[in-house]
Amino acid sequence: MKADVAPSLTNGPTLIPTDMPTTNRPMNMGQSMNDNTSRLDGVAKITGAAKYSSDMLLPNGVFARFVRCPFGAASLESVDDAAARKVPGVIEIEITPKACTYNGQPVGHVVAESPVAVNRALQALKLNWKKAAVKTTIADTAKVQVAQGAVDGADETFAAVYSTPVQTHSSLETHGGVVDHKGDRATVYASTQGTFSVRDGFGDALGLKTSEFEVICEYIGGGFGSKLGGPGKELMLAAKLSQKLKRPAYVMCNRAEEHLDTGNRPSSVTSVRIGLKKDGSVVGGEVKTYGGVGVATGGGGCNVPSGRYTFANVKKDHEDVSFNAGGPRAFRAPGRPQGAFAEELMLDEAAAKIGMDPLVLKRKLAADDVYREMIDQGAKLIGWSDRKPNGSQKSVMRTGFGLGLAGWGSASPGGNAEVVIHQDGSVESRTGTQDIGTGQRTTMAICCADAIGIPLDLVTVQIGRSTLPVGPGSGGSVTSPMTAPTMMNAATQARGKLFEVLAKQSGDNAADFSVKDGGVVRRGEKFLSWKDACAKLPADGVMGSANTGDRGKGDSQGVQLVKVVVDCETGIIFPKHVIAIQSCGRVICRKTAESQIIGGVIQGLSYGLFENRILDRNVGAMVNPNFEWYKILGPCEMPHIEPVLWAHGQTGVKALGEPPTIPTSGALACAVFNAIGAPVRHLPLTPDKVLAALEGARS
Amino acid sequence: MNRFAIAQAKSFEDASKVVGDKKYSLAMIKAGGIDLIDLLKEGLIAPDVLVDVRRLRSGKEPIVASGEEIRIEATTTLAEIASSPALKSACPALAQSVESAASPAVRNAATAAGNLLQRPRCWYFRNEQFNCLKKGGPTCFAVEGENRYHAIFGDGPCHIVHPSNLAPALFVCDATVHIVGAEQPSLPIRYLYHTPDKGVRSESNLPAGAVITHITCKPAKASGFYAIKEKQSFDWPVVAAAVALELDGNTITKATVCAGAVAPIPWEMRNVSNALRGVDVTNDEALSKACKSAAAGAKPMSDNAYKVKLLPVAVKRAVLLAAGRKLEVES
Repeated sequence: MKADVAPSLTNGPTLIPTDMPTTNRPMNMGQSMNDNTSRLDGVAKITGAAKYSSDMLLPNGVFARFVRCPFGAASLESVDDAAARKVPGVIEIEITPKACTYNGQPVGHVVAESPVAVNRALQALKLNWKKAAVKTTIADTAKVQVAQGAVDGADETFAAVYSTPVQTHSSLETHGGVVDHKGDRATVYASTQGTFSVRDGFGDALGLKTSEFEVICEYIGGGFGSKLGGPGKELMLAAKLSQKLKRPAYVMCNRAEEHLDTGNRPSSVTSVRIGLKKDGSVVGGEVKTYGGVGVATGGGGCNVPSGRYTFANVKKDHEDVSFNAGGPRAFRAPGRPQGAFAEELMLDEAAAKIGMDPLVLKRKLAADDVYREMIDQGAKLIGWSDRKPNGSQKSVMRTGFGLGLAGWGSASPGGNAEVVIHQDGSVESRTGTQDIGTGQRTTMAICCADAIGIPLDLVTVQIGRSTLPVGPGSGGSVTSPMTAPTMMNAATQARGKLFEVLAKQSGDNAADFSVKDGGVVRRGEKFLSWKDACAKLPADGVMGSANTGDRGKGDSQGVQLVKVVVDCETGIIFPKHVIAIQSCGRVICRKTAESQIIGGVIQGLSYGLFENRILDRNVGAMVNPNFEWYKILGPCEMPHIEPVLWAHGQTGVKALGEPPTIPTSGALACAVFNAIGAPVRHLPLTPDKVLAALEGARS
Repeated sequence: MNRFAIAQAKSFEDASKVVGDKKYSLAMIKAGGIDLIDLLKEGLIAPDVLVDVRRLRSGKEPIVASGEEIRIEATTTLAEIASSPALKSACPALAQSVESAASPAVRNAATAAGNLLQRPRCWYFRNEQFNCLKKGGPTCFAVEGENRYHAIFGDGPCHIVHPSNLAPALFVCDATVHIVGAEQPSLPIRYLYHTPDKGVRSESNLPAGAVITHITCKPAKASGFYAIKEKQSFDWPVVAAAVALELDGNTITKATVCAGAVAPIPWEMRNVSNALRGVDVTNDEALSKACKSAAAGAKPMSDNAYKVKLLPVAVKRAVLLAAGRKLEVES
């Protein structure tokens, strides 16, 4: 894979450079192993050359979709599929009448020769559903208790209830994939965050040994946690159908199914009561959290207190609340954004109560000095000194500032990686892990090239196949912390083997050799060009492999500052500027790292401003299972986002996927509170709530 | 989506013959195809023939706005309306009404007549699982259900809001839609729509077989349109207002006000027109007071009272735009 030029977009001579200078963002210059490389597969992705699992329309394939319950609680009393069976192209209809407890619950499936035939058959089915009473919210099911914990010695007591809605993952590529079963072997094209967990999750479903099939996920169109784990019901259905029909079977959710039945970030209610001294120290209190987990019975954790602030004696109690809706799955920093929203706004409200600048309070309560340094730096960058006291502005357009913290632990190096140096000087780097959009191909190439000391364009990367060395599932922000050190280690091993070959031939010691300026050096003197050195290798080249590497020290930490303008006549919030300071240890590729941070901020703002799974309160059906009414941040809402990479005191590669989305919605809510002088305690921050808060503040 | 034929019409008259032909169970006009494709995918329509008129024009130019009459072709795109310098000067409300509608891609395909005749975006209407009034069912599910984006005027029984931005703007410009395939050759826009009590299954009064060829109106230099949207990119307004003024210096001598996204039809607000008469557009307090009357008579549902607060704001901002004032707000 070439680093400096990529395939042309047209047949003409124009080449799209992937090497683009980043001098317009001097902030982060020189902090990474590679400053300027854009994603190596960027052009392939935007031109369609990259094939996703949903692109795998194989010859002779069949298509299937689930038949699903349209209501929150209903039992399927009878099925008339006569008309559906007559739809041309229909192969199989299997429906089992049963009682369902959420909108989107499968009761069977339709298989046909084309996606259109599947949809026609689904529309032609006559299903007799008997609706039952539904519960659709935490409040429908549980009595939210007011936190009561002791606040002895407090000068001020503060109590409030916060809530967050369900956020769906909204991956652009939906869940599912294709199974191509050939009798004695099979290929599985999965849209997954865990190539190997899909492999291991099939069990006997394919009727094959693990060695007899391959799972492929070279590209994935979005994975925020809900594509972790095994094959999922979509691929299990595809496996069954492909085996039975002896044809490739294609099962991908449509957009509505994706919203309904592939997991979500659960809703939350947080009831807090804290006591503070006038100096800002928190002397005690209680936090009661509730997680809205739909039909699940767990997984609704709400991370508050987060530990990023030091509180004394704050009691914590959590309850997961079930009702008639699709259940949660891991979602980019599970439990964290909902907890951070409550914690950050609570602290701003408490600060207002004791007459303190919230930045001063948060700086005081922050768990360590790294946070304090980040806060000081962020305050300068966002212009915190321009902040006006809460509610002091009288104009229609009011400006507000908010601040939030992020933190994340880091994984130890692991997985397996292989690096082969070929006789022609090209280098192959292999690990089976997948790229969920973070730039895994690019970071693997950089690790490999950097460890050996050669130009990036000599390296080819292979990822996303279960026949490659085992790599980790991409969850918990572990992919880079695990694979990068391992890949560097494997590359170093391969280089060592090259040196051994050279030493044997020249009668030197392997330790006499090194690589400098793209050439091999012996005892500090130029020895051979890289190409000529590699030409001395045996025909098979040399291979290095590793399953561990240097962990380094420290964990990921971050601080975000948000500046907004609020239109106080309409209640519309305009995010203007976000400073996102983030540590992630050793930065491999500056651009993909910055991109991770920017993406986290965007997802956090979207969560704060718009995203909301809306269920009809009477029948429990989601009324907005689309991108029209399930609103996501668009281009006009993008503020100026400045990612700041922070390496102080850390070594090794640390987590970056999850932390940057944790504090954004909380910092946003704090900024709105500052602008309008009244808190909006319930996400999303829509105009109706902003206007109501403004009215509350006036009266 | 069912199987259907596509016919390329050579003229609007041809097109009207096909859509009026009884041998088809449902023949529909296709222009930009924006709403049509949605309806097909949602299983709400099953036409046997689509008549493509996208390339047809009754006149020479997509927009003529130089003389005493403004003329917009039925197939003129929203992007053409939004970017026409002549229209921006002769009838700014029209250009403003569509300049931020949907997305750039949609605006480049969606047509003027398609915008006027699109079906409502109500999430119960659009979901085939809900057999609502509009689909011949017994209930408007919004009444007891999720109605944050529904109507605050109109008294039902169906509580959709009309989705067209262009319609209220054309309304205040006193526009006329010109048609073929019907007895009358034209229909003033104020008669283009009916309230749900006059027939809940449809929104427009266009006779069966009628096809819009073009739209005309008089110049309204002092006109403006303002939409309040939760999201500035690709979102529907929660309220919108179009205003046309006649001014004597800074004093409003006549105002026509029509609101969008608040009722099942473009909602004329005569009380606001009356309240605005005699108001000095530079007198902020008097203007705000007159625009407050936009809230009068609103009957919000369980979750949309906020729209009643927003409507006077949208009206006031539209008045300011109509008066040529620059809004000092974010957008």
